[in-house]
Amino acid sequence: MSMDRNQITKWLKSPGKMAHKYSLHAVYFCTGCGIIEIPPVITARWDAERFGVIPVATPRQGNLFMITGYVSVKTLKAIIRTYEQMPDPKYTVAFGSCPINGGMYWDSYNTIKHLDKYIPVDGWIAGCMPRPEAVFVGVTHLWTLIDKEMANGYIRYKKKYAAYRSNQEMALGELDWPPLYPIEDEAEEESK
Amino acid sequence: MISSLQENLEATFKGVKVTAPEDGRMSVSVPSDSIPVVLRYLKGNGLDHMALLSCVDWIEDGKFELVYFLTCYMPNDTDYAADQKLHVLVRTQVPRDNPGIESVIGVFENIEPYEREIHELYGVHFKGHPRLTHLLLERDYEVPPFRKDFDTRQYVEETFGSIPPVDE
Repeated sequence: MSMDRNQITKWLKSPGKMAHKYSLHAVYFCTGCGIIEIPPVITARWDAERFGVIPVATPRQGNLFMITGYVSVKTLKAIIRTYEQMPDPKYTVAFGSCPINGGMYWDSYNTIKHLDKYIPVDGWIAGCMPRPEAVFVGVTHLWTLIDKEMANGYIRYKKKYAAYRSNQEMALGELDWPPLYPIEDEAEEESK
Repeated sequence: MISSLQENLEATFKGVKVTAPEDGRMSVSVPSDSIPVVLRYLKGNGLDHMALLSCVDWIEDGKFELVYFLTCYMPNDTDYAADQKLHVLVRTQVPRDNPGIESVIGVFENIEPYEREIHELYGVHFKGHPRLTHLLLERDYEVPPFRKDFDTRQYVEETFGSIPPVDE
């Protein structure tokens, strides 16, 4: 994309934010049927690189996490581990109706219904399936959110980590990895 | 092949009922305790591919029906003579309360994951199976989830509906 003259002030003000806004590195994490839309999105047909989106090999190099379909309980575990490995700032986009409210798996015994109960979600792309164009609409909306500092899922995750962690434990049972952030006991804090 | 196999099966085993609903298909009803011997016999008669193990929950009759799908491997395409194409369903019924059946890993080794799957989804116990652990599922269910009396909506309401949203 050529640089917009109107954006020069933004670039001067916060160059870091502008830079990572236009270089979203998507974690190539496949879940559910939505991943079938991702290969045409990132390759020549729709070419996500026009929008600065490129898939990366490991979550440690990525800052955009697209959950592309229904999330089974087993996948949720992998999603949480992947999300926690990504460096800040990181953005989560739920893709398709299943991570939003369960979609067609709303009464399934083995899929979680609301993804935002377990990890923070910055953007939602509704549809079953969303078209590749919808991904780009979602990405451009994400730019706006980053500009307005509303895509703050990773900050919310840190702030509300105790609540997220307790929800994760309710869904998955005992988690076999230590907390990402220290969990302060509320009762303990009050006694101080 | 079909007619001779049908006669041989009925003559060799007691309580075996064979029907051939259409060409190339055969349905064999077997009492549950003679499943391993019947499968071994069929394997010796060319049906050497255990394709699938399936289960049906007949809740009104209080039975689980286990269905073993057998076909033959053919070394070459040209070996497919019309009378050799055979698809055999071996059916057996086990009681619904405390269901159990002999494992047939000794006959068909590749049935191991199928038996684990049926065990976790229907709660059928396979005697002699080396590891009846979870195959796909993560959590333990009070009622195995593919049984007809498993109430999915109530389960979802209790399990996932009870998790509170994180307030922003």
